[in-house]
Amino acid sequence: MVLSDLYLWLSYSHIPTRKINRLLDTMSPSQLWDSFDDDEIKYSLDDKTFALLKRTRHVEYIERAKFYLNENNISYVTRADPIYPSALMQREVDPPPVLYYKGDINVLRQPCLAVVGTRQASQYGKYTTERIVRELSGAFTIVSGMATGIDGYAHRAALQEGGNTVAVLGSGLFNASPASNLKLFDDICKDGLVLSEYTPDTHATEYTFPARNRIISGLSRGVLVVEASLKSGSLITANCALDQGRDVFAVPGDIDKQRSRGTNRLIKSGAVAVTSADDILEYYSVKSKKSQPKQISLNFSEQRVMEALGMGEKSFDGLVELCGMPVSEINTALSALLIYGLIHEKSNNLYALS
Amino acid sequence: MLAKINSYALNGLDGYGVTVEVDIHMGLPSIEVVGLPDTAIKESRERVRSAIKNSGYDFSPRKITVNLAPAHTKKEGPIFDLAIALGILMSTEQAGVDERNTPLKSVGEYVFLGELSLSGAVTRINGVMPMLIAAREQGVKKIVIPKANVNEAKYIRGIDVYAVDTLSSAVALLNGEECDPIEKCDVVLDCAYGGGEDLKYVKGQFAAKRALEIAAAGGHNIIMIGSPGGGKTMLAKCLPGILPDLTEAEALETTKIHSVAGILDENNGIVSTRPFRSPHHTASRIALTGGGSSAKPGEISYAHNGVLFLDELPEYPRSVLEILRQPLEDGVVSVSRISRSVEYPANFMLVASMNPCPCGYYGSNAHQCTCSPAQIQKYMSRISGPLLDRIDLHISVDEVHYDDLTKETETESSADVRKRVNAARAVQTARYAGTGVHSNAKMTGEMIKKYCVLDSAAERILQAAFDKLGMSARAYTRILKVARTIADLDGKADITAAHIAEAVMYRSLDKAVK
Repeated sequence: MVLSDLYLWLSYSHIPTRKINRLLDTMSPSQLWDSFDDDEIKYSLDDKTFALLKRTRHVEYIERAKFYLNENNISYVTRADPIYPSALMQREVDPPPVLYYKGDINVLRQPCLAVVGTRQASQYGKYTTERIVRELSGAFTIVSGMATGIDGYAHRAALQEGGNTVAVLGSGLFNASPASNLKLFDDICKDGLVLSEYTPDTHATEYTFPARNRIISGLSRGVLVVEASLKSGSLITANCALDQGRDVFAVPGDIDKQRSRGTNRLIKSGAVAVTSADDILEYYSVKSKKSQPKQISLNFSEQRVMEALGMGEKSFDGLVELCGMPVSEINTALSALLIYGLIHEKSNNLYALS
Repeated sequence: MLAKINSYALNGLDGYGVTVEVDIHMGLPSIEVVGLPDTAIKESRERVRSAIKNSGYDFSPRKITVNLAPAHTKKEGPIFDLAIALGILMSTEQAGVDERNTPLKSVGEYVFLGELSLSGAVTRINGVMPMLIAAREQGVKKIVIPKANVNEAKYIRGIDVYAVDTLSSAVALLNGEECDPIEKCDVVLDCAYGGGEDLKYVKGQFAAKRALEIAAAGGHNIIMIGSPGGGKTMLAKCLPGILPDLTEAEALETTKIHSVAGILDENNGIVSTRPFRSPHHTASRIALTGGGSSAKPGEISYAHNGVLFLDELPEYPRSVLEILRQPLEDGVVSVSRISRSVEYPANFMLVASMNPCPCGYYGSNAHQCTCSPAQIQKYMSRISGPLLDRIDLHISVDEVHYDDLTKETETESSADVRKRVNAARAVQTARYAGTGVHSNAKMTGEMIKKYCVLDSAAERILQAAFDKLGMSARAYTRILKVARTIADLDGKADITAAHIAEAVMYRSLDKAVK
């Protein structure tokens, strides 16, 4: 048996990764395979693990698995392969024996940065994610979990900018969820990388999502948490990052918004507060590829609106009162400024300068 | 002797002649009505008997057979009462005959419509206006209707209408007595809308008010999304006050439907303001589209040339909402039942309101939303994409920020807004004259190509909007139509970049791709 096939055997046995790694501390995969019939091994394993390993310990079984993966265009990389991401080879990460993936594994060669956050993102979270990711995406591969909310915005923004992005799933590749992000799944498969430590047919459970967070942080040099409540899964990712010695960044938020409590607490306990992409780029001394924005000539009403917003965020009604212009003109000016990207809609009917 | 009296019946909005034949022969005393009558007609036996007796005529017990020809179509309603009573009187030689008991020639010239009361009075019936129009088209010259229906009949020229209030006066007509037909008059639409709210009492919400103005001017469908307390329902109630005046053709179309349905105002006789219908969300599919065994029109047809307001849109059963799709596209609804298939016009403007999520506060600046993403998605998915596709303007109506309203700003009244709306609608009426299209919202693909020409600056900003704001392709024609209306409100012949830019603002649901 080749070493990579042995790792595939371990992966297909569906034993928890942590258990596999504990086992591999005592012996190599080939030792395990060869000496499996010895009584000594049998006694050193618990019954369940032994049964799982025994069930899958057939050359034909592994050949069939390989054929199946090949048939379904799923690539895999085992710990025996040189392209296995070295960042994961760390005790705290608990590296899985095999990573199954679709897309281009080479995007992992670029330095990676995880961008995670709540599934229930606000307009503020969405906008902030998009802005920061757009500026980072030239310098970093953006790693996230393909969930709704911040994760999805991060992936999409990276794809739109033509940058690299990696989605780490909490299920097998055939069971990607949520359904609303399946289009995104296809897009990332095409232009980025989707990977999972689980065999393709595995269904997500309540344990698989927290478990994959360690891979998100493990792949990355740092983790940026954009919006998170105190119970958010993003805080698990941040904790993993701390355990693994990665940097933790957090975007500060409104102190009385649920969704910002998690990030604000991270900052209180020592995370790097991030208000723009430059904070991260400077932290790693990476040069931004950001081009200077073109000078846009504004007409009179657009200037008035810009001046009004210069005093702070304003609702539509507020702008009407402040500028004293006809509603249609303000609408037109707002629309144009939104399109130029000079302002953004912070939440419903609330506008602010970019 | 056999008597024949002409009457008229409706199939949807189309009418057809019905001959009421009455024959008296030997046998046990009875009245038999044949020719697929419904219950109301069968009951007319009792009304007719009493009416004849109480009007001072003789009703001796005899075997009477009444046939409503053509016999294969279902007849309904009490409109044949008068004709049946006259037929009985004629066949018993009490009316409509000369000295030698031969039928008078003049009998065949009249068409009789009317319900009888036991006292012999002729009472109001439904559907007079469409019947008059259909009868005129089929060459009927003289028609007799109940006096209570005069108000809706007086607008139909080209046919002599005689109004009767008792069976005796109908007998006098039948006997060839000279009588003047009712006087006709021009349609005078009293367009001033009395009810509803006035825009000047709505604080703030400038964006929503502007969107309503555009919707009213172009007949665009509009959806208002926002947290509770934003004033969505109040804004919708302002709409009747800013809708453009009905044209004469539109008023007649709508009146025909209201006449058939029996919801026409007796004193007015014509629908002079655009109807505003707001069915509750427990409304059934049939209540909305029309139907039933007799294929009656439903709410969407009542709202023809007016507004159908669906408050709390996601609360309507999905099956009820989906049936709106075809009428929204075609402006007609065809109701098919085993006995008949009827097409009713349903050219309405859809105005809907909804919360963004089950708790109502998603995206709100004042409250924290407590819904999970799955809940929000489920809530939004109650409204299907194809339905949203047909809505031109999306507008978010949020709580008013009171700090923004420190200044007393001059707010326009509905009457002022309505002036602009009327001017814009006049432009559209002139543009689409003779095409059957009344408003920008109903433009066909060809018209969009012809009337929504963009200059290069407008083209650029539309392109940029699609790139920057991630809009879907389906938004494209919607934006063009709305931009056309904005240009009309602006009094411009061409759509400029500013018009496009404003139109883009009203696609909030397209921008918020989740």
